[in-house]
Amino acid sequence: MTDEGNAPVLEVEGLDISRGNDLVVKGASFKILKGEYVGIIGPNGGGKTTLLLGILGTLKPDRGTIKMFGKDASSFDEWERVAYVSQNAVNFDATFPMTVREMVSLGRVGRRNLGRKLGAEDWKAVDEHIALLELEDVAGKRIGELSGGQKQRVFVAKALVRGPELLFLDEPIAGVDPKVQEAFYKKLSDLNTRLGLTVVIVSHDLTAVFCRMSKVICVSGEVNVSEITEGFEPSELLRKAYGEHFHFVYHRHECAGDFHGA
Amino acid sequence: MALDLAWLGIFGYRFFQNALLGGTLAAAACAWVGLFLILRRESMLGDGVAHTAFGGIALGLLLGISPLLAALVVSIVSVLGIAYMRKKGIANSDAAIAVIMAMGFALGLIIISLAGGFNVELFSYLFGSILTISSGDLALVAVLALVTLAFLGTFYKELMSMTFDEDAARMTGIPVGAMSVAFNILVATTIVVSIKVIGIILVTALMIVPGLTALQLRLSFRRTVAAAVGFGVLATLTGLLISSAYGVATSGVVVFAAVGLLLFVAAYRRLA
Repeated sequence: MTDEGNAPVLEVEGLDISRGNDLVVKGASFKILKGEYVGIIGPNGGGKTTLLLGILGTLKPDRGTIKMFGKDASSFDEWERVAYVSQNAVNFDATFPMTVREMVSLGRVGRRNLGRKLGAEDWKAVDEHIALLELEDVAGKRIGELSGGQKQRVFVAKALVRGPELLFLDEPIAGVDPKVQEAFYKKLSDLNTRLGLTVVIVSHDLTAVFCRMSKVICVSGEVNVSEITEGFEPSELLRKAYGEHFHFVYHRHECAGDFHGA
Repeated sequence: MALDLAWLGIFGYRFFQNALLGGTLAAAACAWVGLFLILRRESMLGDGVAHTAFGGIALGLLLGISPLLAALVVSIVSVLGIAYMRKKGIANSDAAIAVIMAMGFALGLIIISLAGGFNVELFSYLFGSILTISSGDLALVAVLALVTLAFLGTFYKELMSMTFDEDAARMTGIPVGAMSVAFNILVATTIVVSIKVIGIILVTALMIVPGLTALQLRLSFRRTVAAAVGFGVLATLTGLLISSAYGVATSGVVVFAAVGLLLFVAAYRRLA
């Protein structure tokens, strides 16, 4: 959903981020435009999560600039426009007493309504997002009783119920089978198209990234960015990140007509 | 067989009405705060702080000021001390509780020896004495319990969010640091509230058992809170009635009633 006329929602320039004494992300520079569907890929330990946490302000970068919606990150204070689902979100205590509806409602809790009850409008938004992520059948169930794929969708619903314009997802990979994962990417595609939501997702599923997304950010210490267009050839980008012996067979017909440009 | 209702006459006595009021409020506050402690995996925090309250009680008796007020101050200092040690990485939760608990008890012991012996009154704080609660203590218990319940009710959704995931709660703009301090102070006030009802030694039972019983039912968050409060109040009322009818220690019967409910509900969940 690249739209050249749109203003960037995120601009990163010359970003270095360290963890302890190790420089993990080196010289990241890229722009993400409104309505893009962006995949962040790269080997384990390559710095994908570090990059995300740096952008979100959880980790302090060594140098470089970050602009969110045109504003410098250090003075950015419109965090309700940004949502984030962490890698560990789904690893919660399964006995925690909370229903799906209660969980999603937590997305409406924040500084603006501190100490006040959620109103009818809040609950309306909660139920709309439960429907949007096809969770109606399990809305009254406890979150611990859900399958991996359902949990993922609950956390996305919780993130989206605040009405953000930019969604960051650090993809949880454990315990979700490929079919369910594929359905999840399709759902995100759909939200990206229908709501004009900008989605940035850390992913291990290269096929999903190259079939569905409009841009790929490849993080392996250094950061390389490519637009994914018709006839895009990822081998060189992938070899830079994963090494000379890495082979990724990528057939456009496997995208089954779901290619983001199709 | 004619039903003997003579025992109901006890409800007409002022001391029993006071005990009912104080007991119900303390049990409700205890169960609600305790549920959060269980979910935050800090079940032993209540026990640790209660033991430091012992030092506070002894201090109050020595100085001739309200022992409950002195216990309140010492408990608040202790709970914040535990939080500080954890935050600064001096000790993990268990170890910090152990240190503060020993300190509090040692303080009590030193004061008792300074005062020249064991004060009989101290015994009533160790094991509770709800049936002989004074109107001054009742007023303190009622006010503290109501403040606690009001706070928990007002910040219900924020506390639920923090209890589930503190980092995520912080990102939504909830002032997690300030709320944690406030919650820790509530733990201290709740313990002081319960000292008269159940005593320092058994306060954990009133904090943890009702919440644990409610969790067996696998309900929503809202209903789990309601069930925990219900079980806590039920156990306390049962304890009050049985103990006054048979002249046995109230706190002992309250604990038996609470644990009895837990066993019944746990068995019911597994058999039904």
